[in-house]
Amino acid sequence: MTLALKHVVKKYKDFTAVNDLNFTIDKGEIFGLIGQNGAGKTTTFRMILDLQEQTEGSITWDGSPIKKINRDWLGYLPEERGIFPQMKVEDQLIFFGKLRGMNGNELKKEIDFWINRFELEEKRHDKAETLSKGNQQKVQLIASFIHKPKFLILDEPFSGLDPVNRDLLKNAILLLKEKGVTILFSSHQMDNVEELCDHLCILKRGVSLFSGSLLDLKKQYGKTKLSIRTTVPKSELEKMAGVKEVKVMRDEYVLTLMNESFAKPIFELISNGQYIEKFSLDYLSLDEIFKDKVGGNDE
Amino acid sequence: MSKLSILVKQLYKEKVKGKSFILMTLLYIAVITVVMFWSDIKALFVNEEALQIALVNETPVELEPIFASNDDITFSYPTESKESLYEQLKDEKLDAVIIVSEENKRLKAEIATYTPLKLNDQSTISSLIQYAGSIYGIQQLNLTAEEAEKILNSEPIITTTNINEQTGDTKSEDQKQSGMWVSYGAGIVIYFFVMTFLSIITTDVASEKGSRALEMLLVSVKPGTHFQSKIIGTMLVALTQFGVIFGFLFVLLRFTDGGSKWKMVESVLSDISYSYVFYVIAFLFLTIVLYLIIGALFGSLVSKVEEASQVMTPAIMITLIGFYVMISGVANPDTLLIKVFSYIPLTSGMVMPMRIGATDISTVEPIISLVLLIVTCVAAYILSLSFYKRSVLTYSTGGIIEKIKTVLKVTT
Repeated sequence: MTLALKHVVKKYKDFTAVNDLNFTIDKGEIFGLIGQNGAGKTTTFRMILDLQEQTEGSITWDGSPIKKINRDWLGYLPEERGIFPQMKVEDQLIFFGKLRGMNGNELKKEIDFWINRFELEEKRHDKAETLSKGNQQKVQLIASFIHKPKFLILDEPFSGLDPVNRDLLKNAILLLKEKGVTILFSSHQMDNVEELCDHLCILKRGVSLFSGSLLDLKKQYGKTKLSIRTTVPKSELEKMAGVKEVKVMRDEYVLTLMNESFAKPIFELISNGQYIEKFSLDYLSLDEIFKDKVGGNDE
Repeated sequence: MSKLSILVKQLYKEKVKGKSFILMTLLYIAVITVVMFWSDIKALFVNEEALQIALVNETPVELEPIFASNDDITFSYPTESKESLYEQLKDEKLDAVIIVSEENKRLKAEIATYTPLKLNDQSTISSLIQYAGSIYGIQQLNLTAEEAEKILNSEPIITTTNINEQTGDTKSEDQKQSGMWVSYGAGIVIYFFVMTFLSIITTDVASEKGSRALEMLLVSVKPGTHFQSKIIGTMLVALTQFGVIFGFLFVLLRFTDGGSKWKMVESVLSDISYSYVFYVIAFLFLTIVLYLIIGALFGSLVSKVEEASQVMTPAIMITLIGFYVMISGVANPDTLLIKVFSYIPLTSGMVMPMRIGATDISTVEPIISLVLLIVTCVAAYILSLSFYKRSVLTYSTGGIIEKIKTVLKVTT
């Protein structure tokens, strides 16, 4: 165990931003903290980073209070983007690197590596304010982990990135994981969380609705997503036992079942003399589970 | 290198290389140059010919040595008739005709012009006539030239003794005048530096906070270290500008006009005591520090850089009040208003040096004012540091009071 939050509470007078939050993150793990806007994610990050003090509970790193760990072990990418607009890209990275105790050749090597990896070579000597939003975000991202932190917090790292840069970032996160960096991140894009996270915590108005492995979460719901490509009309599918909802997705139907056990009888019913091009039973996506748990849209 | 020095270095480099710093410094240098060479610059644009004045002397007094020609006025002593001279006035060949005569054993001067003279020229001519009148009066007493010169050059010996032991040594008028000039200069320096650097520190903190770069910084740097770096860095930038401007001023004074201007400065400085210099430097330094502390705190209150001017307004108003109180002291530095403001920490830096230099103040009063300023600086630092830690990551809208309330609400 590396990071542990136990019964963490954050109160602002009569408003409770985070209530009895518990989760642990192991070394080298990618952990997702997801929730709607105002769910308490940024407050939780700030408490972990000792930028705000929790009202109750404990936050420890390898058993010691997080306050006591070397600050240079931490890396943080805030939700809202911002770097020094007047500073050149390379100077910016040198500044943040030096501030976190890096120097000389090691810092130069890291800067070269990440600038190359994020395809920023041509922008190296440009002022940050002249870069596109996506490139500014890449610079800020590199600045957050240029010093090789042991623990990295990324608050909405994917927002504002195009699909190509999103892939670059995903690969970078996976590379950091390979290097043993423990990563905690938040995202509104559930496909990214699903792709990267081993474990996650779902927050709703400061309360944890789930904390554990992604597979456990999916298992809670079971394989209730049935995709069928068939000649059977929608009206008949809706009448079948155990079917909660039928959606038409292009040329196929997506059925939400009450539970996994209804799949077999449905197969037997529709296969009776009907043509079935596709019959696939899956777990719900994280996006669907999230919407079900927190209720309504993410925004 | 410590984190504090990395932050200070970064701020210093950024500001000193910044266009606004360079332009502002050049502007100050340009203004100083214009002031120093004003008469030469004026001469370039205003091509003034010397006034042509005809002087008709109907007295036995020798007026030529008194009414000597210079660059501004050329005196001539024609023997022509009044009418002819007045014709020349009309033709603008002459600017004035002065007819000097006697009346009731007094010197009488009639000044005739066609175009009225300027105030400066009128004053110059009047003072020359006054002097001639004195010479004439002395000559009426049948004194020797030596005796007349003795009378004209005799100056009273004035000594002032203050028997109240509570007040310090009484200053001469020259000392007070010199003290007035130096304190006036110090007040102007405080005013301009506060105006410039209060804005720099406030907008700098506000811009880092607004851009969220501060959140990244505060992960590895304690808010207190960040706060200190802003004050030290901005102070160093201020001292750099101070050094450049005063270095330039020194070179101008020392090496132009054969050092004549520097001699004037030396004569002013010779009337000033070391203790006065200490007080001026101490008040100047501490006042700038106090305003920088306030500026950093104000910067931490706003959510974006556009709001910086809003929170700075109260501090700027106080500086303005202090400045105008100081200006009022140039006419009379002994008023109750001056006395009151010389103890208020935010304005004492501009007002107390004037009282020390230009009035017979007791030795205790400046010490009390300085101690008050030091205590305020320390208290402001401790309070601001504590508040800065809480406000620097709190984002809110509304006026300054609203912002303070929000910080207190979400952090206590």
